[in-house]
Amino acid sequence: MSNIVLEKVSRKFGDFAAVSGVDLRVGEGEFVTLLGPSGCGKTTTLRMVAGLEQNTGGRISIGGRVVSDAERGLFVPAEHRALGMVFQSYAIWPHMTVFDNVAYPLRVRRVGRVDIRQRVLEALKLVEMADYADRPAPALSGGQQQRVAIARALVFEPALLLLDEPLSNLDARLRAQMGSEFRALQKRLGITSLYVTHDQEEAMALSDRVVVMQAGRVLQIGAPEEIYQRPASRDVASFFGSPNLLPATVVNCARLDDADFALSVRGSGWEGTCRAGEARAEGAKVLVMVRPESVRLADGANQASSVLSGRVVQSSFHGARRALTVEVNGNLMRAEVPATTPLGEQVTLTIDERAAWALSA
Amino acid sequence: MTVSADDRLQDANRPALGARLSGTARWLQATSASRVAGLTLLVAVLAFLSVYPLSMLLYGSLHSTPPGMAGTFNLDGYRDILTRENLITLLNTVGISLAKTVPSLALAVLLAWILARTDTPCRGALEVLVTLPFFIPPILTAMAWGMLGNPQVGLLNQLYQGITGSSTAPINVYSYGGVVWHMMQYAVPFLFLLIVDAFRAMDPSLEEAARMCGASRLRTFRTITLQLMLPALTSGAILSFIRGIENFESPLFFGSPAGIHVITTDIYDSINQRSPPQYQYATAVSFVIMALLFLIVLLQWRLLRGRSFTTVSGKGYSPGVTKLGKWRWVTFAFCVLFFVITVVLPVGQLLIGSFFKFFGFYQWDMLTLEHYQAVFGSSEFWRGFGNTMLLGLVGASATMVLGGLVAYISVRTKWRGRSLIDAMAWLPWMMPGIVLGVGFLWGFALLPHAIPIYGTIWALLLAYISLGTPLSVRVMSSAFSQLSFDIEECSRVHGASWLQTMWRIVIALSWPSFAVGWVLLFFGIMRELSASVLLYSIGSEVLSVVLLKLWVNGNAEQVSVIGLMMMVMVILFRWVQLSFIKKHINTL
Repeated sequence: MSNIVLEKVSRKFGDFAAVSGVDLRVGEGEFVTLLGPSGCGKTTTLRMVAGLEQNTGGRISIGGRVVSDAERGLFVPAEHRALGMVFQSYAIWPHMTVFDNVAYPLRVRRVGRVDIRQRVLEALKLVEMADYADRPAPALSGGQQQRVAIARALVFEPALLLLDEPLSNLDARLRAQMGSEFRALQKRLGITSLYVTHDQEEAMALSDRVVVMQAGRVLQIGAPEEIYQRPASRDVASFFGSPNLLPATVVNCARLDDADFALSVRGSGWEGTCRAGEARAEGAKVLVMVRPESVRLADGANQASSVLSGRVVQSSFHGARRALTVEVNGNLMRAEVPATTPLGEQVTLTIDERAAWALSA
Repeated sequence: MTVSADDRLQDANRPALGARLSGTARWLQATSASRVAGLTLLVAVLAFLSVYPLSMLLYGSLHSTPPGMAGTFNLDGYRDILTRENLITLLNTVGISLAKTVPSLALAVLLAWILARTDTPCRGALEVLVTLPFFIPPILTAMAWGMLGNPQVGLLNQLYQGITGSSTAPINVYSYGGVVWHMMQYAVPFLFLLIVDAFRAMDPSLEEAARMCGASRLRTFRTITLQLMLPALTSGAILSFIRGIENFESPLFFGSPAGIHVITTDIYDSINQRSPPQYQYATAVSFVIMALLFLIVLLQWRLLRGRSFTTVSGKGYSPGVTKLGKWRWVTFAFCVLFFVITVVLPVGQLLIGSFFKFFGFYQWDMLTLEHYQAVFGSSEFWRGFGNTMLLGLVGASATMVLGGLVAYISVRTKWRGRSLIDAMAWLPWMMPGIVLGVGFLWGFALLPHAIPIYGTIWALLLAYISLGTPLSVRVMSSAFSQLSFDIEECSRVHGASWLQTMWRIVIALSWPSFAVGWVLLFFGIMRELSASVLLYSIGSEVLSVVLLKLWVNGNAEQVSVIGLMMMVMVILFRWVQLSFIKKHINTL
């Protein structure tokens, strides 16, 4: 009942297309994150689902009901969509107590007084804020406001929850804690959630699936692992961390059992193998993506598929890990190695085949 | 052992302490004498401008004879206040001010909502037009409405009679309604300017959250938007109420002819219209109105303490704009209508009035330019014009410098006595112009004969500076408190002296506020009537006094001509203000 379907959804502001042709299906109980840099159209997409923004093209359905269809001129305003939403600024009303804030959706729905009391306290218990019910809202800390905002969004038991960068105003420690707490709550209630963030770690840690957006378009939709390890394009790859992108030429291409392809490639001063999601012609130019943490220092024991030698130009200590910049044939390569590894000026780096992913150059 | 240990400790401390002491001492030596002298001078000036007239009010209210004459001290002035007539005067004052505040607030909220939160066309231009009435001297619109709404020959009644053919005159501006109506033309833009930023700056997600909770637009406006605005609305309403009580022009023009008296006109009448003038009574009444205002200010503090909500978020969408569809032309028309009624009608009346031989008789063969010739040939007009310009330029500049000094000391230093200075500068805020006029009347008369201020243009200048100081301090305080201390300290660290820092950093960064304050003060001086009318004498008339004298003599046609001149000046200054210091307009 509570799935979301976006079909060719677009939003234009004058000549500027903030969102163009977004297709997305969010299944029941699923936690899907819209991820992208600021201005990529993720918040506009969320607001169109919420009904706070009207789409200029395409169709949005929620729970099998069409709520907005640009061609037919159909538009159900926000207050009739019955969705829960948590705002970036939390939007806790400062002129009300915590209780009144959470009770608001129920009062709008003319729920009886006794019922309101019971349901509000239940919702506050859910976010561990029951003791704060009578506090005036301005007396809350950021994390507490966040909890109240979630309680308010859940109290009328919406089928769907929308969250617009809800953690971005919290400090780093609280952010991680609130994130995992919220994910646990979401799983327990089984509530379908659409979540917007620009923080890729947050997106990966919380979501069932991630939608990577850029310039109003969807670049890739997939599970966090898939998007991280098997990005569809260079843009998606660069969005997560800072991977090494090594230019190379395809020497050989072989189909593997799991529908992937194994490539032999030759770069400037190195040769090796990598994986690809599609067949590549011999002689084709590719970029081999290698994450810094996948780069190993050669110790003679492991069987590596690619071996590169170079000179350490920069080394910085990060506690558990050491970050290296290595010059390989005039190209700089980043590597993260265990901090205890002894280092010379000249190093040999190895890369496993499964950790190297070919992208179109 | 312990003794020697202590000794060593002291030894260790001594050089540091000594260095600090000598540093402080050097700093004191260098700055102390000039600073103490400067502060003393500033306190003396402020005392003369605020504490002196205030204490003179107390003195005068107990003194049995007019200023400067030998007399005895008694309570006759206060005893005379306790009459039935004065109870009616008090009720009139409070009632009229309430009657204009409430509808003005409703209108201002509506206008603020239209111009800040809807997609009404040309909102920028409309905002300029809607706030324009606030800058027109009230004496001009008062005279224009006196002509427009005159029950015998008023243009509006003539129009009505011409259209309906009846001989009744439905509009009589000389009534309670007229007084309230005229005050509203100033209260609406005043309140609008006070609350529009609160509307504009509100975090839109506060309202969107309510929509997501299922509340309709109307419910959202009622339970969220309006509730969040409540502190701003309350403080605006109280300010407007205070201004209503202080108002002089509206009751003078429309109340007094109809026998409706308020406290300010009562003070004026008992000095200017009664023979012999009842100074003691007028001064006692002045003292009472100040006490009344003081109570209201106390009430305001109590009401608003801790009740302002921070609804502004750092980031976010521009405030939620309501799409009105076809209705946006209705809201557009509403704003235009407001402008037409409050500006076009009165200015149009002045224009028409200036070209016809007699006010009220509008026929083609009555067209004439003789009023223009009369005005331009009149030495009284040019003297008034010159005086107003001189007082405006000198007064606004002096007031801003004084306000800037006070603001700097109270905001940017930790000098002792700075709160005393701040309080003294704030004191005139509680004195309506006419009350301050009475206070200075006594003050100037009691000065030694070697200082002949009374009867000169200096009397007006001092009164204007006093009246304007609270505003200038407020404008400059907000400018200074926005500058971070780091900026100033950084300049010092980089080797600039205190004076260089002031000149290159503090003044360089705060001059836009200075300019905004200057223009506001200039407007204030140009429109000032209630203190001027008590303090002027032959030779030191200002334009507003010249206008009033002409009006009282029944010369509405020349009044129209001078009024038009002043209107041109107002629009010119407003245009300069808007186009050159546009981004600082909100500091009003």
